[in-house]
Amino acid sequence: MSVNRRRYLAAGLCGAAAAAVSLPSWGADRLRIGLTPVILADQVAFLSRWGRYLGSRVGVDVEFVARESYQSILDLLFSGQIDAAWICGYPFVRFESELSLLAVPLYQGQPFYQAYLIRPKTPVAEIQGWADLKGRVLAYSDPLSNSGWLVAQAQLGKAGVPVRDLKRGFFTHGHRNVAEAVAARLAQAGSIDGYVWETMRAQGMPAIAKTEVIWKSEPFGFPPLVVRKGHEHPQMEALRQALLHMGDDKVGRDLLASLNLTGFTLGQASLFDSIRRQARQVPGSGVGG
Amino acid sequence: MLRRLPYRVQIPLGLSLAVLLAAVLVTAITARVQAQNARRDTLSLLDRAVVLVIAQVRPMLAADDTWRVFSLLRDTAQLIPGADADQARLAILSPDGAVFAASDPVKLETGRQVLGAPWREQPLLSSLEIEQRELHLILDGSVVLIDPIRSEDGQTLGFVFTEVESAAFAPDWASLARTALIGIVLAVTVLGPLGWWVGKRMARPVGRLVEVIERIGRDDTGVLQGDVPKTTDPELSRIGDAVAQLMGELERRKAAEERALSAERLAAVGKMTAAVAHEINNPLAGMLTATQTLRLHGGTESIRLRTLDLLDRGLQQIRTTVAALLPQARIEDRPLEPGDLEDIVTLVRGTAEKRRAEIRIQVDVESALRVPSAPLRQVMLNLLLNALKAAGEQGSVCARLQADESRVRFCINNSGPVLSEDKFKSTLAAESGKDPRGFGLWVCQELASHLRGRFELDTSETSQTCLLFEVPNREAPEGLT
Repeated sequence: MSVNRRRYLAAGLCGAAAAAVSLPSWGADRLRIGLTPVILADQVAFLSRWGRYLGSRVGVDVEFVARESYQSILDLLFSGQIDAAWICGYPFVRFESELSLLAVPLYQGQPFYQAYLIRPKTPVAEIQGWADLKGRVLAYSDPLSNSGWLVAQAQLGKAGVPVRDLKRGFFTHGHRNVAEAVAARLAQAGSIDGYVWETMRAQGMPAIAKTEVIWKSEPFGFPPLVVRKGHEHPQMEALRQALLHMGDDKVGRDLLASLNLTGFTLGQASLFDSIRRQARQVPGSGVGG
Repeated sequence: MLRRLPYRVQIPLGLSLAVLLAAVLVTAITARVQAQNARRDTLSLLDRAVVLVIAQVRPMLAADDTWRVFSLLRDTAQLIPGADADQARLAILSPDGAVFAASDPVKLETGRQVLGAPWREQPLLSSLEIEQRELHLILDGSVVLIDPIRSEDGQTLGFVFTEVESAAFAPDWASLARTALIGIVLAVTVLGPLGWWVGKRMARPVGRLVEVIERIGRDDTGVLQGDVPKTTDPELSRIGDAVAQLMGELERRKAAEERALSAERLAAVGKMTAAVAHEINNPLAGMLTATQTLRLHGGTESIRLRTLDLLDRGLQQIRTTVAALLPQARIEDRPLEPGDLEDIVTLVRGTAEKRRAEIRIQVDVESALRVPSAPLRQVMLNLLLNALKAAGEQGSVCARLQADESRVRFCINNSGPVLSEDKFKSTLAAESGKDPRGFGLWVCQELASHLRGRFELDTSETSQTCLLFEVPNREAPEGLT
């Protein structure tokens, strides 16, 4: 792999190349939730509707803050500029000591999802699995993504393909872009969040029609909403309850349907044990034994 | 086809066709210019796109961000003509010349070595050899540009590889055809009828001139001259003036012809009068001699009877000659007799004696003579008088009358200067009208013609002039007496 991951993380910490739905603001009269590419949440109108829905139940304004990289959202969370964040299971287990679960989304009724390995849909398939990636170009999502990086590292290791044997590996700053890169054949394979791929397919996005899944992982804990331990917003419990009860009314169900989710649950840290075990197998994952 | 049409249709039709042709030509030239401009504009656009890419891509290369480079190239390629049709593509090459990212990863797959390797069968320089922009013109018209990307301190960060296939430079014929079609439709619907109308206006004076010319000779010239169109166009004005002048000339010529016809009639009357006088005058001289003879020797019975017979035949000849001038008169003429030659010689004897000329005659008649006597006597008299005149003083004339079953021939020789064929013909022509002084030979020729015979110069006789009058030995044709 040609990408220097640490350098990339450093670049992410600098917060360059960030785009915001709204500028962060401070105060107890509002709740700010950071979003990462774990969901297809780049629709401003949808986020505005969801914010108004949650705000009406929490009693304070709820705003969403989106960033392209997981690291940027974590930086905002750890610096107190946002009150909660929807991140991946991998950064949760990595920074578990500093984070606590707010809620875990339910996908098809379960708090689990899978990672996919996808390839371009061509008449002659060159790649059948991880072992075929030697000398190929592989697209990742984010250095802090479970399905978009950690799983690939673990599976490449299992398949006996050192990362350096890839022709090239690069990050696309989002699962959606992984699908786009593979569809355009910029990469010959991509490691992607199965929930995102299925949601894109459900929405009929063109890139999905040009890709196909060639491998699915074991179930992992669904990317959770987390808060910083010891720095919870006064209305955080109200927010948790609003999320947990979104399935109780029609507006909430419509919003969940837009997210391709069925609801939220409290969740347990043990949901992410599979990720934790996998991270321990990947050198440089930041998750110790 | 066009030439067969009337001029009044040719002009407007030609003008309309000229308008249409002009529209097509202008469209073709415009298409050509647009095609040239399109290539220049495309290359200019490529320059700007490359500048934009180089400016944007530096931080992405520094961050080793393939995806963002791809996004940049994909979006920038949309600016380049032909990219949507897969005819143009951009790529960023790493410092070693391999594809870092491309707008069209199918054609330029990630990681593919480009620099230093053949591209479309044309070798490209290696990354180390490229110092500045490299322009490669492919044989099929495609263009490949390779621009180095440098950091502020001059380090090569990579290269921008740009390829535009020849098809992208090709004119958009469909669009040009649409434009041309609109132009032609406009020309046909607006300029065509306008050209037709203008052409009709231009041709209208021509049509009126044609009508005037067609009426020349039928209508009054004064009216026609008033109908000649007045126009400010110098060419048409000249034609109109020429037509008016032509009508004036025709009018004057017609008057001249009428005058000439009148004069000709008068001349014909005079000529006829002179001919009659000539034919009457010829026997008169002989008859006056006969009366002198009668006066001197009338006492002798034989001389008196013979002289009276001579006078009677001479007067009969004059009567026959005069009667020939009167269509309603019909005088019975007797056939020629061998003695008529001696009779005629007697009539001219006086003239011969005055000239002291000798006349010899020879008669060889083997068959009955059926030809009328009056015209033959007139011929023999004319030719004898003519021969005596031609023989001159103390000359000799030999007259010979021959006849057989089929023909009657009268030959006469004289000892005067030999008459040439040309002189003979010119004399006949002169006597036929231009020179009213002599009619003898001309009358002989006319009579030969009427009697279906011939009158000519015997060219076989070279020592003397010999004239030959020959007619069929039969009765005169109807109408000739």
